[in-house]
Amino acid sequence: MSNEIKTVYKSLGLCGFGMGSNSAAVDVKDGKILRIRPMRYDTAYEPENYNPWRMEVNGAVLEPKNKTLPSPLQYGYKKRVYSKNRIPYPLKRVDWDPEGDRHPETRGEAKYVRISWDEATDIIASELKRIHATYGPLAVLGQIDGHGESKIIHAAHGCPGKLLDLMGGYTLQARQPDSWEGWTWGAKHIWGMDPVGKQGNVVNLFKDIAENGDALLYWGCDPETTPWGWGGMQPGRISRWLNEAGIKSIYVSPDLNYSGAVHAYKWLPVLPGTDAALHCAIAHVWISEGLYDKDFVATHSVGFDWFERYIMGGEDGEPKTPAWAAPITGITARQIKAFARYWATHAVSIAHCAGGGLIRGPYSSEPARLEVALLTMQGLGKPGAGQVNFMDWGLFGIDEIYPLPRSKCMPDLASVYNGWAMLTLPHNFIPKTLIPQAIMNPPVTWGGGHVIAGLPAEDQFITWDYPHEGAAEIHMIWTDSPCWQTCWNGGFEFQRAMRHENLEFIVAQHPWLENDCLFADIILPTTTKLEVRDISSDLYSGQYNMLMHEEQAIEHVGESLSDFEAVGEVAKKLGLYEQYVGGTEDELIKKGFDNSGVQDMVSYEEFMEKGYYVVPTAEDWEDDPVAMSAWYNDPEGNPLKTPTGKVEFYSTGLAEHFPDDEERPPVPHFVPYGVSHTESSLHPRYKLYPFLLCTNHPRWRVHAQNDDNTWCREIGTCKVAGPDGYMYEPIWVNPIDAGRLSLKDGDIVKMYNERGATLGGVRLSERIAIGALYQDHGARVDTIVIGEFDRAGANNLICPSNTTSKNAPGEVTNSFLVNIEKVDVFKLAEQYPEEFNRAYEAATGQIAIDKIVEGA
Amino acid sequence: MKVFLVDVDRCVGCHSCQIVCKDEHCDNDWMPYAKPQPDTGQFWLKVNDYERGQVPKVKVTYVPVMCQHCEDAPCQKACEHDAYQRRVDGLLLLDPAKCTGCGKCAEACPYDAVFKNEELGICQKCTGCAHLLDEGWETPRCVDSCAHDAIRFGEYEDFAAELEAAGYLKPEEDTKPHVYYLNLPKRFLAGEVADLEIEEVLIGATVVLTDIESGAQLTTTTDEFGDFWFNQIAASDYQLEVSYDGYMTRTVKDFISTKDKDLNVGTIALYAVK
Repeated sequence: MSNEIKTVYKSLGLCGFGMGSNSAAVDVKDGKILRIRPMRYDTAYEPENYNPWRMEVNGAVLEPKNKTLPSPLQYGYKKRVYSKNRIPYPLKRVDWDPEGDRHPETRGEAKYVRISWDEATDIIASELKRIHATYGPLAVLGQIDGHGESKIIHAAHGCPGKLLDLMGGYTLQARQPDSWEGWTWGAKHIWGMDPVGKQGNVVNLFKDIAENGDALLYWGCDPETTPWGWGGMQPGRISRWLNEAGIKSIYVSPDLNYSGAVHAYKWLPVLPGTDAALHCAIAHVWISEGLYDKDFVATHSVGFDWFERYIMGGEDGEPKTPAWAAPITGITARQIKAFARYWATHAVSIAHCAGGGLIRGPYSSEPARLEVALLTMQGLGKPGAGQVNFMDWGLFGIDEIYPLPRSKCMPDLASVYNGWAMLTLPHNFIPKTLIPQAIMNPPVTWGGGHVIAGLPAEDQFITWDYPHEGAAEIHMIWTDSPCWQTCWNGGFEFQRAMRHENLEFIVAQHPWLENDCLFADIILPTTTKLEVRDISSDLYSGQYNMLMHEEQAIEHVGESLSDFEAVGEVAKKLGLYEQYVGGTEDELIKKGFDNSGVQDMVSYEEFMEKGYYVVPTAEDWEDDPVAMSAWYNDPEGNPLKTPTGKVEFYSTGLAEHFPDDEERPPVPHFVPYGVSHTESSLHPRYKLYPFLLCTNHPRWRVHAQNDDNTWCREIGTCKVAGPDGYMYEPIWVNPIDAGRLSLKDGDIVKMYNERGATLGGVRLSERIAIGALYQDHGARVDTIVIGEFDRAGANNLICPSNTTSKNAPGEVTNSFLVNIEKVDVFKLAEQYPEEFNRAYEAATGQIAIDKIVEGA
Repeated sequence: MKVFLVDVDRCVGCHSCQIVCKDEHCDNDWMPYAKPQPDTGQFWLKVNDYERGQVPKVKVTYVPVMCQHCEDAPCQKACEHDAYQRRVDGLLLLDPAKCTGCGKCAEACPYDAVFKNEELGICQKCTGCAHLLDEGWETPRCVDSCAHDAIRFGEYEDFAAELEAAGYLKPEEDTKPHVYYLNLPKRFLAGEVADLEIEEVLIGATVVLTDIESGAQLTTTTDEFGDFWFNQIAASDYQLEVSYDGYMTRTVKDFISTKDKDLNVGTIALYAVK
């Protein structure tokens, strides 16, 4: 049996950006994927080759396993590859005629006909030439970034940009710091940390917390869910280890998330979007009871007097007491006091993943800054006290943001990565959050600079605009990340924008027929990474880093080509293929290896023969000084990157550039509502929409990815079967709220606000605070009425369109007001017969064939 | 003899075991061991979840359940076609070639671990991935996939020390399973003690829990947040006595029952002696 099985290695993480993770061994038999299983580090190497690390604290041991730790999303990836939602062949929108009427008004509703690759690439090439001749190259918008499969040569996102650059450039949809909004737009202004805005040096911090800490606050942080996309299961193992070492795990979040449900010592159910009020009340307890490190604050920060004045009520006459915060946050004053006193008398750290209730809501700059303020008041950098991350370890190859035993090297494949590269400064671009406005209501101006993830705080003081310096407005979109409407802010606005008459041509390339694809005029089917050969890295396992040669597992599914090949077919039509392709696959793999950083640790021949290389743990990792300890001991000698070099309770940069901004004032505030947002129980809108929705990164998806996976959809927390057989996206409702509304488990409800409505299935749950609702984000859009009504529970469609705040163009996709009411799905089916009778299979959800009609 | 040892305390509910079981057995034919498992709706290994308690004292317990490979297997006894065979290693297999799909074994299984595959006309269940073990694999797929070592597989003797504390999923069924469970959930009872007149939690208050039926007592003290927890207690009716220096001792017994569910009793208010 086994001699018929071919085994290939694949990094199956879904980060994209040329950063691989979540590696697995894929067994292939008779041209089909047989199984996906952990990959063993010791198949071709002895453990002493990669220097296993070990941490033991109070008898609790954490060490890597001898195999990778994929998440269930990787184990079930076969179902993605063979999904009934795969695009079978190139498609053209049935009523889009490049020579005649283009019917932008039917985008999102019109079906598609099959065309050949030759015809599709002819059309794309001729449209590109026409648009360039008419408006110039900047009239093409490239939506070519975002999370997706982590491929290098065959990059999932960015290959169109490589071709468009050869043609004179394009307008870029800028890569926002998503899932870090508050850290970027807020925290950078209080402690100047790059690249993310979270603590910028976390070296050996997990060891420090285990050895010296008392408690870890998981603040809107779910290590058993969020890292599944790129990180795997090690974060959960760390949580368990910290518990075993005696650290108290305290979860502060509206939802008892999946990690809290199994690891929490205590859960503080703070209402969505009110973390800043909780922060303020904690500061009030510390100031009024003298429970903070005054000497430390004096030596390590500036502007504390301004902060004290705000907290104690000197600014607005409202002391931010626990009694003030209690009705806002849903946490009793006595619990806030107990929490504040515990924190002040113990070594306490804070943990985050990407996203979470704290950091993606309206005014997320404020809780981010307030958290840093609190950490500073308790001696940030003292033993056992810091801010640690459960994912994105060593992001951008930066050792200082790697909190586990350091690897000798983080393999870097930038030399052969064909996707859009992070940290590239664009000139002509539109922030991702402002795409609908830019299309429907140009020109658009924003304060917030290049809006690219990872840039320093100073960049945010630059004002930029679109169209920039007389450039053309956009008339064409080329997208290889067609999921804007279910991932970003105000998806119904985006739907309307896609139908704007200025958009003459939209081309999408993607493996699956879903979301924004259904607004495109031409759709190209692309492969998954199982169908191509590539070179890859594994960077975020928290065990060992790896470099891998990824052999092709199976033939291309249907008529798909890889993203790189698909764009290459267009390049051929434009006579640009030779410049575009840059070498043979063999040459590129060799070049990638030669520039990876491991080329001196293993020979190319050995690497290729074994198929992978495990980078050893650095011999001297335990000697690396802990995180912020140097700064803690000598702030003058180790200044921060803020203008003053200190923690700025009063941000000198914000004060200089945005002195009158009430939504992000120089001193961090709790901002319940303002000119940009009204998503608060303190605003009159609350009477109409009396629930705050918490919507995290999903459990069974990575943003929009994986919503068609039959093996996930049948899990009770993934979908709720409606009486009509449709699988609805769950909404957690506390039984007390459900009782008031006479809702039962399994009821189908409409969740809505004035921006529109979406449906969901009620799950009665004690895992959500009273007064809040919980629903994952990222469901595959199933539109009932364009711009108004969706069936799938894609709640990004009804989240605010406005950005973080007036001068902070981040996304707002969590903690907003909604109401829910029970619906009769059979009556809706009568009202919307076509929309409720689409080809549909409960196991998969929407299927590709539904969107395709015969003939031209 | 091979056994499974499932430690419920280590299970985080990721469902990897359930999914790799499908990865191995759906659309893959492992005759003579097994024919394919249906893609959805049937679970040769299923992770059950139990949400316990009330806001904010809540936990979720996950229990992976597969064929228990019982020594006294009701399925085997119910089978009239000699389709069940015990392997030397102790795994109980259901021979697809002999099975007629009559479904009697599925009805007899107290663990709902045998499934009637209407399409193939046979009954099916966990094989312990015997096809892999016979190829040299050390463990079935579910065990291989578990990052937290919540499901382990090995010789009975190797686990002997831990098995003393282990139990069966349904001991009342008396089927002598080869699947052992550690830390199966009983009940918890939790709450908060506070002085509401000054809006402060009371730290270090003594809380005595008395099982009204058995008279058994447990004592704990409230933590830095005024919280107390009694874990792994019996489903019963209880009385709580809460005392704190300078406060009047309070006894509560109305609705203090874990018979139907785990219980957050909420806030127990104490009053200072004036």
